[in-house]
Amino acid sequence: MSRSRNDPEDRRPSDVDLPEAEVARRLHRTWATPRTLKDALSTVDHKIIGRRYIATAFVFLILGGLLALAMRLQLAAPEARIIGPDRYNQIFTMHGTTMMFLFAVPVMEAVGVFLVPLMIGTRNIAFPKLNAFSYWIYLAGGILLWVAFAVDVGPDVGWFAYVPLAGPEFSPGKRADIWAQMITFTEVSALAVSVELVATIFKQRAPGMSLDRIPVFVWAMLVTSFLVIMAMPAIMVASTTLILDRLVGTHFYNPAEGGDALLWQHLFWFFGHPEVYIIFLPAVGMVSTMIPTFSGRPIFGYLALVMALIATGILSFGLWVHHMFTTGLPRLGESFFTASSMSIAVPAGVQIFCWIATLWAGRPQMKAPLLFICGFIFTFVMGGMTGVMVASVPLDSQVHDTYFVVAHFHYVLIGGALFPLVAAIYYWLPKATGRMMSERLGRVVFGLIFVGFHGTFFPMHILGLMGMPRRVYTYQPEMGWGGINLFVSVSALVLAAGFLLFFIDVFRSARSGPLAGPNPWNAPTLEWATSSPPESYNFLRIPVVSSANPLWDDPDGPSVASGLNIDRRELLVTSVVEALPEARESSPTDSIWPLFAALATAILLIASIFTPWAVVWGALPVTLALICWFWPKGEPEDEA
Amino acid sequence: MGSSRGTHAQTSGGSSGARILAALGLTFLCVISAAAVGWLRAPRQYRADPPVQDDLGRLRLMPNRIGGTPPESYFALGKPYEKTGYDLSQGKRLYTWFGCSTCHGDGRGKIGPSFLDGWWLYGPEMISVVASIRDGRPHGMPAYGNRMTSDQIWQLAGYVRTVGAYAPSPSATSRNDDPQTRPAENRGPAVQHFEQGPVGMNPRQGPSP
Repeated sequence: MSRSRNDPEDRRPSDVDLPEAEVARRLHRTWATPRTLKDALSTVDHKIIGRRYIATAFVFLILGGLLALAMRLQLAAPEARIIGPDRYNQIFTMHGTTMMFLFAVPVMEAVGVFLVPLMIGTRNIAFPKLNAFSYWIYLAGGILLWVAFAVDVGPDVGWFAYVPLAGPEFSPGKRADIWAQMITFTEVSALAVSVELVATIFKQRAPGMSLDRIPVFVWAMLVTSFLVIMAMPAIMVASTTLILDRLVGTHFYNPAEGGDALLWQHLFWFFGHPEVYIIFLPAVGMVSTMIPTFSGRPIFGYLALVMALIATGILSFGLWVHHMFTTGLPRLGESFFTASSMSIAVPAGVQIFCWIATLWAGRPQMKAPLLFICGFIFTFVMGGMTGVMVASVPLDSQVHDTYFVVAHFHYVLIGGALFPLVAAIYYWLPKATGRMMSERLGRVVFGLIFVGFHGTFFPMHILGLMGMPRRVYTYQPEMGWGGINLFVSVSALVLAAGFLLFFIDVFRSARSGPLAGPNPWNAPTLEWATSSPPESYNFLRIPVVSSANPLWDDPDGPSVASGLNIDRRELLVTSVVEALPEARESSPTDSIWPLFAALATAILLIASIFTPWAVVWGALPVTLALICWFWPKGEPEDEA
Repeated sequence: MGSSRGTHAQTSGGSSGARILAALGLTFLCVISAAAVGWLRAPRQYRADPPVQDDLGRLRLMPNRIGGTPPESYFALGKPYEKTGYDLSQGKRLYTWFGCSTCHGDGRGKIGPSFLDGWWLYGPEMISVVASIRDGRPHGMPAYGNRMTSDQIWQLAGYVRTVGAYAPSPSATSRNDDPQTRPAENRGPAVQHFEQGPVGMNPRQGPSP
């Protein structure tokens, strides 16, 4: 990095030969976000945006959870009259849509936005303005959906909005349009974040962090980002053609005019199945990163774990048809997708054995995160079992659209993603706030959530086998489902109490928890090499990595590289495989224009539900905002 | 919603209590106002209440059965049948279910008069169209009063009126999943697609009323 003193380029201000306090002061001046409203709206700091993303996603988790409680209230007794059929349709659609599109996918991406630059030792995410834009557009999509629901225009066609039900003939009003347009918002934001993460992971890793030294969570985010990039275009085509059918009168899904109603299911599930893994793989990565810390030894089978991640990612594109077994497919198609659905159990099994082996060979400390990880392994294995069951066509034909399926996917989604996420919050919140969460409360929270979860969802398997269909707003007393449903509803309250206590602990810890220090868990990865919470520039000097567990193998902390400019935002760009330093690259400064661009885009998209002319006139402010965003600043690029 | 903005202000704004309080207040205000708007909107009702149903049938027609005063409940409901997407689309479904197209075709008329031309033999008021459907008209229009409920008649009348509308409506129905014979109602007012002026009467319809 360091060049000879007479190199003219080296006369720029760098951190070479400066005392640490001076470097810290000037880096802070360069990178920090001042605390004014305008600066808060124009910041491009990945940590601030990541925190916003996570907080917003958890707000949507609470809202979706309240809807779930409302449904359980209605279903607690047969023939209940608390919620009518029309409102109930909106509520279950809002619950699914909120949880999948506004909570699960964004929160996983958001944890990546917050953690990946810290874990790989860089100062900001790649394309930070795009990052800010993606948050605002996500927020706008969420607001659109929930304001629509508040004014009784919430979508009521289920979270996968099958045509012809969601089509122009059978879904009057603007409800399905709102759904389709909300999809557009979340697509744009997820795609933007994925592109940033891929670029960050490939080109901004700390020097020496070759591909085999990347933390498993970062690998998981890389695979997830590629899944998003390849899966989201399918739903983009789907939601756009649906809205065209509804608003402009095209015939993509009208069989009478050469369209195809089944095309919707193919497009949706070609996205929808990988989406399950878009939610699950980051969770797997979190688990693989946390387990070594609490076992006190490096992860067992790093290569196998990474290969399993990639294999899951590839296989996930080959099983979407198992959502469509009852649509009347050719026999060969059913057999193929049964086989491919069952084969995904192989990489999942590899991962689970690697985790068990790591725990087995180490000295596990049963801290709160590890409790949730054990809950995850137990719950997810159970969900995987019912997954293998519904992967077989005869059984699936019986339980299709019953509560058995509801139970299955809550086991894999809550068990497979939410348990690891809660573990991750216990583990990484001290990094974000600088304060520890309560270990004692954590055990109570785990007990409530674990017991509440299984009490809520296990009986649903039985209800499904008894024939209770999903998405019914009530049932008759003669069906004999009343007792189990009441038990489920009571258990849901226990689950909700667990989450309430969890949120109370989060707020309590952020205010008055014990101070964490840089590395409270004695963890091996780079994000623990900097202060908690990290300074705006993440690392005073960029670490140089020489092993997969840098903080364990260098007890004095990793050695550092110097030479980056401290008076303008600069990052180190490294090579893809070996992470050899290649260039110093400037990193964008704060800008208000991503917010305005997101606002203009939101106005265009929302107005286009009401008139096609919005696409024409709405494009003008979008163009204007983008011109201002990309207006050249007059800084020579090669100065860096 | 606004609540999400509030939360990021909490996390990014640090621990200053006043800021959190302001954010919470703002959130609360947004939630209350959205809920108030939702409360004011008429909820979608799959089945009208029996008293309303009963009242919707009390048309106060002029002696010639053209024009008159709609029932009070129609105004009390906020005239939904001409403007809410749900009622219009129910009307469109009833148009198919009750075989209206046998005589009126896709709206351009067959042995019955056209709706698309925007000319109404008994006037353009809702109540006249409702009376036509309920009581029938001379020269072939049967009475549907004992085959449909009152609110269904209003829904069908609302739909029939949008077929020949001269102004676009954001809640007009879209296309059906059927072979298409003309642009759907939401593709703009009929006047854009068809010649104005009355389509000639079908000779089988007999003398004009």
